[in-house]
Amino acid sequence: MTPLKLALSLLPAVAAIGYASVANSYELYILATVGFYTMVGVGLNILLGLTGQVSLGHVGFYAIGAYAVAILTTDVGLGFWPSLIFAIALTGVVGILLSIPALRVSGPYLAMITIAFAFIIEHGAVEWRELTGGANGMMNIPPVSLFGFEFSELATIYLVIVMTALTLFLYWRFADGTWGLAMRAVRDSEVAGQSLGLNPVMIRAAAFGLSAMAAGLAGGLFSPIIAFVSPSSFSFFQSILFLLVVIIGGSGTVFGPLVGALIVGLLPEFLSDFAEYRLLFFGGLLLVVMWLAPAGIVGALTSWLGRGDTRIPDRDRENDVDVDAFLSREARADQLNVADLAISFGGVRAVESLDFTAKAGKITSIIGPNGAGKTTVLNVIGGFYKPDRGTVRMGDVDLAGKPSHVVSRAGVSRTYQTTELFGDLTVLENLLVALGQGRLGGFKSALTHMQSDAQACSQCEALLDFVGFKGDPGVLAKHLAHVDKRLVEIARALATRPDMLLLDEPAAGLSAQDTELLIPLLRKIAAAGVIVILVEHDMGLVMEVSDHIIVLDAGAPIAAGRPAAIRKNKKVREAYLGTGEVIDRARQTAIPEADRPVLDISQLVAGYGAAPVLQDIDLKVGEGEFVTVLGANGAGKSTLMRALSGLHRPVEGRILFIGDDITSWNAYRVARRGLVLVPEGRQVFPELGVDDNIRLGAYARDDFDDAAELEEMLDRFPALRQRRTSRAGLLSGGEQQMLAIARGLVARPDVIMLDEPSLGLAPALIEDLFSVLAELRDEERTILLVDQMAALALSVADRGYVLESGRVVHQGSAKDLKKDKSVEQAYLGGGR
Amino acid sequence: MSAIHSISRRGFVAVLSGFVSAIVLSVGAYAADPVKIGLVAALSGQSAKSGEAITRGLTVAIEEINSKGGVLGGRKIELIRRDDESNPAKGQIAARELIFKEKVAVFFGGLDSPVSLAIVPVANKAKVPFIGVWAAATPITRNGANPNYVFRVSAVDAIVDRALMQYAKKTYSTKKAGLILINNPWGESNEKGLKAASKIENVEIVGIEKFESKDVDVVPQLLRLKKAGADTLFLVANAAPGAQMMKSLGRMGWDVPVVSHWGISGGRFPELAGNMAEKVHFVQTYSFFGEQNEVGKKLLKRLIDKYDDIKGPEDVIPPVGVANAYDAMHLVAMAIDKAGSTDGDAIRKALTEIGPYNGLIKNYDKPFTDDNHDALSHNDYVMVRYYGNQIKAVK
Amino acid sequence: MLIVSSIITGLGLGSMYGLLALGFYITYSVSQTVNFAQGSSMMLGAVICYSVGVTHGWPMPLAMAVALLVCAGWGWIVERFVVRPFASRGSNSWLMATVAAGIVLENVVLFTFGKEPRSLPSPLAQEPILIGDLGIYPLQFLIPVVGLAIAFGLHIVSKRTKLGKAQLAVVQNPDAARLLGIDVKRAIVGAFMVSTVFAGVAGILIAPLFNVASDMGTLFGIKAFAVAIIGGIMSPWGVMIAGLAYGVVEALVTATLGSVYTQIMTFALVIVVLAAMPNGIFGKAEVKKV
Repeated sequence: MTPLKLALSLLPAVAAIGYASVANSYELYILATVGFYTMVGVGLNILLGLTGQVSLGHVGFYAIGAYAVAILTTDVGLGFWPSLIFAIALTGVVGILLSIPALRVSGPYLAMITIAFAFIIEHGAVEWRELTGGANGMMNIPPVSLFGFEFSELATIYLVIVMTALTLFLYWRFADGTWGLAMRAVRDSEVAGQSLGLNPVMIRAAAFGLSAMAAGLAGGLFSPIIAFVSPSSFSFFQSILFLLVVIIGGSGTVFGPLVGALIVGLLPEFLSDFAEYRLLFFGGLLLVVMWLAPAGIVGALTSWLGRGDTRIPDRDRENDVDVDAFLSREARADQLNVADLAISFGGVRAVESLDFTAKAGKITSIIGPNGAGKTTVLNVIGGFYKPDRGTVRMGDVDLAGKPSHVVSRAGVSRTYQTTELFGDLTVLENLLVALGQGRLGGFKSALTHMQSDAQACSQCEALLDFVGFKGDPGVLAKHLAHVDKRLVEIARALATRPDMLLLDEPAAGLSAQDTELLIPLLRKIAAAGVIVILVEHDMGLVMEVSDHIIVLDAGAPIAAGRPAAIRKNKKVREAYLGTGEVIDRARQTAIPEADRPVLDISQLVAGYGAAPVLQDIDLKVGEGEFVTVLGANGAGKSTLMRALSGLHRPVEGRILFIGDDITSWNAYRVARRGLVLVPEGRQVFPELGVDDNIRLGAYARDDFDDAAELEEMLDRFPALRQRRTSRAGLLSGGEQQMLAIARGLVARPDVIMLDEPSLGLAPALIEDLFSVLAELRDEERTILLVDQMAALALSVADRGYVLESGRVVHQGSAKDLKKDKSVEQAYLGGGR
Repeated sequence: MSAIHSISRRGFVAVLSGFVSAIVLSVGAYAADPVKIGLVAALSGQSAKSGEAITRGLTVAIEEINSKGGVLGGRKIELIRRDDESNPAKGQIAARELIFKEKVAVFFGGLDSPVSLAIVPVANKAKVPFIGVWAAATPITRNGANPNYVFRVSAVDAIVDRALMQYAKKTYSTKKAGLILINNPWGESNEKGLKAASKIENVEIVGIEKFESKDVDVVPQLLRLKKAGADTLFLVANAAPGAQMMKSLGRMGWDVPVVSHWGISGGRFPELAGNMAEKVHFVQTYSFFGEQNEVGKKLLKRLIDKYDDIKGPEDVIPPVGVANAYDAMHLVAMAIDKAGSTDGDAIRKALTEIGPYNGLIKNYDKPFTDDNHDALSHNDYVMVRYYGNQIKAVK
Repeated sequence: MLIVSSIITGLGLGSMYGLLALGFYITYSVSQTVNFAQGSSMMLGAVICYSVGVTHGWPMPLAMAVALLVCAGWGWIVERFVVRPFASRGSNSWLMATVAAGIVLENVVLFTFGKEPRSLPSPLAQEPILIGDLGIYPLQFLIPVVGLAIAFGLHIVSKRTKLGKAQLAVVQNPDAARLLGIDVKRAIVGAFMVSTVFAGVAGILIAPLFNVASDMGTLFGIKAFAVAIIGGIMSPWGVMIAGLAYGVVEALVTATLGSVYTQIMTFALVIVVLAAMPNGIFGKAEVKKV
């Protein structure tokens, strides 16, 4: 913090004190009100800004603080200061107690619990008359005094200003300390927080307690200053004002509560001449402010001013941290033993009798087609799922069934398929929060900015260098490019100095060049003595780096061994590419001309955030043609489907559909125009019946002949007829897939697109499915199919495109592609 | 203005001063300036009607005073109103604004007792007279301060409750009282008052039930009172909740006498309670129905002329707010003239010296003394009931 | 008698809570947002009905229709200008914004309609029907009937009509619904309009038993929110049943323990229920995925 910034930060306090010294009694009390609002606002900011939880009950804590001081200083005769301390402690305890029911709920449920709390306190104050003086309250609360000296009005207000400044200061220290960082981390991703050893229950309880204490402090000061407490000062409406203070000022910012308090406290005074119209104007102005600055005023200002000097540009400085030494701990577990592991979900076996051993210093990969249960295995090892039976032994400890923060503290760290970085934390903070392995420390570390710990920072930076992250560590993680997210997530996992690192598809969505970077990195990590478990679809990567490979199919291990052996294994090839002996379903009639495309895609670019997932896609589908798009996982197939169907917007380039440029159309318009997608994962409406699911397919049609067309579909898919009475959610995967296709067909689309229809289906069902697709083709429907079952897809298609890393790398007739080795490479790797 | 000068002199031209300087932009009083009179009352929310009634009573009185040349030899009276949102902390700040920023000579209070209770110490400390025209909690005027700057032209709960108890005993030979009270400070204050009165009058209280101002159905509470054997109900509530209670009573078919505090006259009780309205006997300081004194005739005419929504006495609601405020304003104007200045202490002294004054509610002889800051006493209460839309004394 | 009467009273009130809470359910299920100021929508229905029917003397059925139309319009305004600008940016400020909109509406009504509560006459709330020594207005029987009928109607509409099913589809899977040509944005606006219309119906129904005033809905709105939450906001029947239960519990607590405990007990019960069943009594746990 620069001296200038320090001076600027102190300015409000200095200005307030200066103003107070010349203000009249009315203005002093306005200052006090702003102070109270700020303190409660800071408390709410801990909850809302740091942990992302909304409370509409803070007036309850405010009231408890106020009543505690009032009762102790009048009835009990205790001095002001001990009363205040007691009041703060009491609200802290009540806050933690309230967090017990509040912890299990979130969103509107949490809001309701806090509302109920506020009402209970308000009514309790009315009814517990012996203690609180009932509805008419307590009068003549003695003023603040110290060592027998009574504070003057002015001195009391000085005290409020100092306390307000102190609260803001503590928040500023706290938000970037170990606890504050941990709260923000758990807010952004509870799952990832747990896998770094953070205990969300304890962290949320602490947030509630501290948040309540700030409100208690404000209440404790309220009593002697207003000298009168009664329940009507603590109505539910006050709670709403408190929340407004934070939201209008900007939650999660240091000065947000102050700015919010100035507005909520002062605006009514400016409007006081409006008398009875005051609330009307107040409500209206609040709406306007929220419209103009939805992230709060301070939030809007900081994003307008840019991030200023928060960057740490000094990335080239000497860094003598030895990452290898950092990673290689003594007395660490040297292997992982998984024995007889099994878990099922709702009767469906996800993993069955899995045994394997992974050694320290080696990379052990778990592969298998989609739905094989790979991620489930990682989730069991990582403590996210409790296995039905089996052991997960690392060193001498059995981790099976332990909660993930305990597993993490035992030395297990992981990354996620969809990166789970703490998006609103900087890259550096993402690593800093991991350094403590879930241990947050006491007051000192809670109030010390972690960025000011030079040693910790250089360790983190060394780790970032180690993984090859070349960007700015001061940037927010959510603004990172995809590849950088992957790298930072690995660095974060390493920051806990793990014995074992679980990597869930680290290469997903990475370009070939970026994937190359992972190879040496993974080897380096293993070389440091870490047990590395890799789940990955990119076979090139797997074959290259693995010391040992376990292949799963439908939850059961089908092969294990060295990469070369696995590549040749027949079972593995079948699991991936489908059986070699595919029934030939090639078209008997002549293939339609492709020169008049109904769907004409040119230069299509689409992506999420920084890096485009699809680049310069050119693709045509002619009328009556069956076109398939092939490619490994993460090649961009699903994004292509989402882009064509209008679910993914905006996209660049041009999508022409029967003469209309639909590039900017919303999904519902695209569907109504006649381009219908049967989405990945089937996505039937689970609570609706079979008939209704089919009927909804015809939603956009006016000429739907209910009875006849339903019959037609049930004839086409006889399996559905038998299940006609059940809810779609109860259907088997295959039945759901048929239902989804039927639902797409009744829309009478000009082109029907199918995204991974065979995903997760048993082989026999897949055969049925492709027979249906062949039938549809022979009815001269226009079809665009995306499927990972390359051999099968090519057995029905007329033409195909092969995607790799978001680009079309091959195209041609189905016949040609079947013979082309590049297709196999795209799936099983080996191209490298 | 001194505040602004000293700010810039001291160089504290900070962010905050921008916000606050507008507040300070008031200018001190010159001789020909109007005399400012304040009002802190609920102008919004569920008690908004009370603030409006007080405003009307004060406004008509001020217009009368100003049309006769104002006070202090030609200074007009100007009313400045502030909304307290029925929140004591807000009310206290509003009081400070009126005292320290607007520099009012005197200010009036509204309906909510807690707000007035919070303001009392401020008024006493700042030495600015504070006149209650509605809130009836006993400690507002009997606050132990000396000198005491708080006066009241309104009922006092303790005295009203005693009067109600006496009336019930006399009229209905009440032995077992059931209290049905609104759950707010006013209800609570009367709970105390009625309990105290019951001891003196030797009436047993067999049940105390509360209800919320937004309760739709009060049958469960009433059934409890009935079960407890109450032979007379004592009602303390404003018009709308009072009507809810009476409707519940009507549905139960429980024929029991109901004696009520004046709250039910604060709205369109006959409309809201329907045929049950006439069953309630209640206390009033003034009624605009029936034979009016000179002041009453004049005031009613002015109200009808001035406010579109007032067509007759049934539209003057709540009557107590208008009546009390009207008389209180005239008494204050007399006191200011007698004091010869807008100095708070002088006005306080003058208030205890004025009289006689022929007012609306009664002819005040010496409304206030050093010991008694309540202008109205139990002699000024009349027991009334609704006859159709009209409030008339019980025959 | 105390118990019977409390149960009848409670059912009447409870169906009001349920009706308002159904409004929360409808918007929350399609958009994960609610009009927090649902109480003021209820008030709007009653106030417009009074102004048109009593002040301007139009026939009552017409007045009710106008009131419900205005409510629908208010629902449109709330979604379009108060909820969507925030929800579409992923901000949860819509909660505060709807509260602010409620404050504005209540104050506008305060100055146009008037500050004093008025009574909306109804032939169904004149002569009580005597059951034993307990009188009950026909309207009190009607309210739970209408409440259940609306819940049932909602059920039928969503199960039997194309529009209702489309709405259900949006609830269950908005993306898949889009792919079938369903305009999800319009479905959300529609949900808000239906939600405020329900509130309006509740307001019109309760007004003759209660009174018409700018703040008549505030506490109702909060209790209805509690009901929606403990019912498990995603289940229409759960919400309606929770509403009835809430009303009955409230009345029973008052009748047996005394009114002193009513508010404290019922709100404490809300906390206890949610602590035991974090997704409400009839709600389903959302499965988290990694």
